[in-house]
Amino acid sequence: MSAITVLNGGTQTTVQDAGRPGFRHLGIPRSGAADKLSFAIANHLVGNAWDTPALECALGGLHLRFEQDTVIALSGAQMWAQINGMNIDLNRAVGVEVGDILTLSYARAGCRGYVAIAGGIAATNFLGSVSTYLPAALGGIEGRALKAGDELTLVSGPQGPVNTIPNGYVPFLSGHAVLRARSGPEFDLLSPDSRRYLFTTPFIATPATDRMGSRLRGDRIVTDQTFAMTSGPLLPGTLQCPPDGQPILALADGHCTGGYARGLHVIQADQWLLGQIGPGMRISFRRCFEEEAPEILQTRNAMWGALIPGFSF
Amino acid sequence: MSAPAPTLSNYGDNAVLVQWDVDGFNAAVSDQVHALAAQLRQGSGFIEVMPGYDSLVVSFDAATMSLCAAAEQIKSAFDTGAKAGSESKGRVVEIPVSYGGADGPDLYAMADRIGQSPQDVIALHSERDYRVCMMGFIPGFAFLSEVASQLHHPRHATPRAVVPAGSVGIANWQTGIYGLESPGGWQIIGRTDLDMFDAARAEPFLVEAGDRIRFVPK
Repeated sequence: MSAITVLNGGTQTTVQDAGRPGFRHLGIPRSGAADKLSFAIANHLVGNAWDTPALECALGGLHLRFEQDTVIALSGAQMWAQINGMNIDLNRAVGVEVGDILTLSYARAGCRGYVAIAGGIAATNFLGSVSTYLPAALGGIEGRALKAGDELTLVSGPQGPVNTIPNGYVPFLSGHAVLRARSGPEFDLLSPDSRRYLFTTPFIATPATDRMGSRLRGDRIVTDQTFAMTSGPLLPGTLQCPPDGQPILALADGHCTGGYARGLHVIQADQWLLGQIGPGMRISFRRCFEEEAPEILQTRNAMWGALIPGFSF
Repeated sequence: MSAPAPTLSNYGDNAVLVQWDVDGFNAAVSDQVHALAAQLRQGSGFIEVMPGYDSLVVSFDAATMSLCAAAEQIKSAFDTGAKAGSESKGRVVEIPVSYGGADGPDLYAMADRIGQSPQDVIALHSERDYRVCMMGFIPGFAFLSEVASQLHHPRHATPRAVVPAGSVGIANWQTGIYGLESPGGWQIIGRTDLDMFDAARAEPFLVEAGDRIRFVPK
């Protein structure tokens, strides 16, 4: 029996969990919730384990009708969320009843909103994950984005009592993301100007932004001399610098290999924020020193791990 | 062919790059890359072990492993075995290919530009076994080892919007097979009907890095 009917799929809504790590050598990206933190918060609020399958809605426009009583929570991008036309809070568990209609408006800040439902969304498993990977139609609901008429079912009843996240903990999303980064393998091949621009001038995410990557616009980032790189492995969070000077930031579904200079790599502790990059967002990179990165990660893991059992960045 | 010693460098805060300094394809380096990948995969603690043509990237959780510890583990794996770079004993997979025509739209133009007949291109392309050096950028795309020197040919200046799944192409000294329909700039000389990747199959991947491929003209 279906628990949820999709009335409108929105810009792009997919089922995501924590992803399928360990298969990049086969060309399979990790996928999973692009913003791991907001996804974990939404799940925790409804009493789910943090990595339970939930809905990831890019930019907004998702409309759902609930066919049974349940509990939901929204986190991530700042979207107006309403049930039957009445505003509801983000980052709080909300009870819904049979026939209730949830509508999400356009994201005002950030890019991806997460809708967690007590028990989790049932979807197709591939290599240990139900995360949707659109280019190869893996996982999720037939490997595609949700569309009107889809009927979703839940994995189980509620996993546990609802939770709260203390005030002030939920990250504030603005139109400007500051990402701490370390130099990538080919950083030294960039021109001196480019190396300086990377850490001093902001970039803007162009409309060529999706779960695979974000093409940025800003000062030209070029290599000192033209160099022909043999294609090599690539990770999410890496800024690739093609000869046209407009860098590309690899995201959760990013290609597993690339042939351009890997200029920067966003530190593990900040990679969740990559999932909130939407068209028009300003992006700044801040240099992170080698000794600093593990400390930032330990501190953030300690803070969030204490709130959300089992969670780490 | 001998292999130069690789260098290790940090790739952000949660990955290490092992890079061999070579120009073009080097079979001895490729042996070492795959021997090292196999060895590192046996150990624990790494999330991704990603071999390339002349490089290898390992990623890990920076909360449980430091860059130094990762580099130490790689160095010791290299010194204790991978350095010898045992010739890979991967399977040989035969790939039937229909060359030219709609399946290989670039065959004739490419043959013309490199001064060979289309039949010669087919013969040269299918006469040798290739190693699967790397998988990606998308599921099932197999990056293969070097083609005969007469077949070296650059990519299209402007990539095609759609290259069908199974297309066999050439880019500079590389040859490869498109696992899925995708945009692409390689010179497409043929196509196989085999599914390089099928999520519904018990073995979703037809080949893995380290395997050998033999093209059989249809």
